[in-house]
Amino acid sequence: MSALLSAAAHRTLLAVLRRAYPHDTFPVGPYQRVVDAVLTAAAADPRLLAQLVQGLADLDRLRDLPFADLDADTAGAVLRSVQDTPFFRSVIDIAVVKLYDDHEVWDLLGYEGPSFDKGGYVDRGFADLDWLPEPQIEEASA
Amino acid sequence: MTRFETSRFGHDDEDVVVIVGSGAGGGTLANELCRNGIKVVVLEAGPHLTGEDYVNDEWEAFGQMAWTDPRTASGSWRIAKDFPNLPAWIVKAVGGTTTHCAGACPRFKPHEFHARTTYGDLEGASLLDWPITLSELEPYYDRAEIKMGVSHRHGRPPLPANNNYKVFAGGAAELGYTKVSTGPYATNAEPYDGRPATVQDGFNFQGDKNGSKWSTLVAELPKAALTGNLDLRPDSHVAQILHDGRGRATGVLYTDRNGTLRRQRAAVVCVAGNSIETPRLLLLSASGLFPDGLANSSGQVGRNYMRHTTATAWGQFDKPVNMHRGETMAGVIADESRLDTDRGFTGGYYMETIALGPAFFAKFVAPGDWGPDLTAIVDGYRNTAGMWIIGEDMPQADNRITLSPDVTDAHGLPVADVHVDDHPNDVAMRRHGLGRGTAIYKAVGATRTIETPPYPSTHNLGTSRMSERPGDGVVDRYGRAHDVPNLFVSDGSQFTTGAAANPTLTIVALAVRQAEFIVRELNRTLV
Repeated sequence: MSALLSAAAHRTLLAVLRRAYPHDTFPVGPYQRVVDAVLTAAAADPRLLAQLVQGLADLDRLRDLPFADLDADTAGAVLRSVQDTPFFRSVIDIAVVKLYDDHEVWDLLGYEGPSFDKGGYVDRGFADLDWLPEPQIEEASA
Repeated sequence: MTRFETSRFGHDDEDVVVIVGSGAGGGTLANELCRNGIKVVVLEAGPHLTGEDYVNDEWEAFGQMAWTDPRTASGSWRIAKDFPNLPAWIVKAVGGTTTHCAGACPRFKPHEFHARTTYGDLEGASLLDWPITLSELEPYYDRAEIKMGVSHRHGRPPLPANNNYKVFAGGAAELGYTKVSTGPYATNAEPYDGRPATVQDGFNFQGDKNGSKWSTLVAELPKAALTGNLDLRPDSHVAQILHDGRGRATGVLYTDRNGTLRRQRAAVVCVAGNSIETPRLLLLSASGLFPDGLANSSGQVGRNYMRHTTATAWGQFDKPVNMHRGETMAGVIADESRLDTDRGFTGGYYMETIALGPAFFAKFVAPGDWGPDLTAIVDGYRNTAGMWIIGEDMPQADNRITLSPDVTDAHGLPVADVHVDDHPNDVAMRRHGLGRGTAIYKAVGATRTIETPPYPSTHNLGTSRMSERPGDGVVDRYGRAHDVPNLFVSDGSQFTTGAAANPTLTIVALAVRQAEFIVRELNRTLV
């Protein structure tokens, strides 16, 4: 699968994802899985593959250093300069879905996910918020 | 909840009632007719999913349930930019969008049936009074609420306060709101009507595996099946309504699950495909006798499309909320639903709790955004509370469904284009609602508030509206087409105006009432 892109392009794509969706708490794994998802989509979509090949190569030519070696501010400025290109929108459309659908990411964000097989949340904290008073549950006038 | 079996009627059975769509309108109408001894064929475009099929996963469920056949969007509304190929978020499966809707069940207020008289002649709006009043509909609201097991009504207990609600209600109290409650919702707080109490699994939008939420899938259709009078055909996409030389409907053409074109004869045809597909089907059914589309001598089919004025307000705190635990929606503030033009707009709105998982939260909180501003919001997921704002939007003649001139679906049929320009009243109401929503969260200590633009529309209304005079709308006070005496519109397309309330309860009440009319008139004036 990764033979679709050169090693350099692969590295640039990973860097794009980490700069576009920076989270201090996220390890590289979830981002790598987004790279895999982008490549899977590109394998079935020649137009997307062409956008990737061209777009990633362009990113590496915009500054003196390859994109992956840019500092965060410079990388952010570079991405803003291409943010309306079909290449970047295609990557973003896939990434925002795949990155936050990743179960490791769910754990990091504090989302507990599927619950029906565990009996729901009825006995697992659906009402455990304790920093506000217990509210009314029926209209005051009723 | 397993897949129920139904009877099989012949394609040439001329005495059946054909209902297109199995959601709130179609599914309810089917049950009411079947229980009165009328044979009904329900043609549902989507598959017959059940609780076992549903998944506790936002994107997987979306792919399984949503109507993702192509549509286009145009106009100045934000959706045309954010989600140009997904103007509506509705369901293509047995049970229709009742399987996705959270089940909030406010009634219309009296003045909301007289919007034109009450709000006056608003520039750019095509307001019209309904041909019926609240008092006429009240007995049917009662029957709908009992049927749906609506909490807070007819002795049904309220849902308990969940985490998201505690923040919402706490802030509401600080602002002095009093009409604050965990309902009314059509979800069982305790067992009712053979269905269990909620387990608070948090996947109400994803079908509700537990069957605690009322839907036509778990309530109306299996009951109809038990009568022996229901023939439910999933995976059946209706392409055209047929008529005879006198202009009376004679049946429908549809493609079955194998792609074979079938003809089903009928005594009466009822269309309940949601407010995008219903006018699309009427427009697709144009003929020599009805050159502008079936039942469209008024030119009103597809016009006055409404979607409620919506937005979402989020508050983030320095303490955990865990909004994902428990019912997706289970809280209502009704104070702003009042009639009060001093706020700078006409009509009212509700605030209702909403919870999303990180997958949908990241996608919808700031559509199209990326970078550190977005990721800082997502990092606050655990400490986030959310509310949806839903208010009456203004009908406009040119907010309308038309047939796309260049995009077709898998059956080769032109798809629907959904054109919307926001009315200034909608913009003012949205701004007010977001102001009040974020103030609620700030009042209980929010460190950040976020304003999210509308999601693809789940409340799709109008497009075949009810009118006293045939020239003003498409159907009469019973939902019967002005132009075609045995053709009915049975979903939210009938709505003359949208009111502030979530529409399902009113769709169900209208379907119960329409069924009574069809039962009474079937052998007198309909055939």
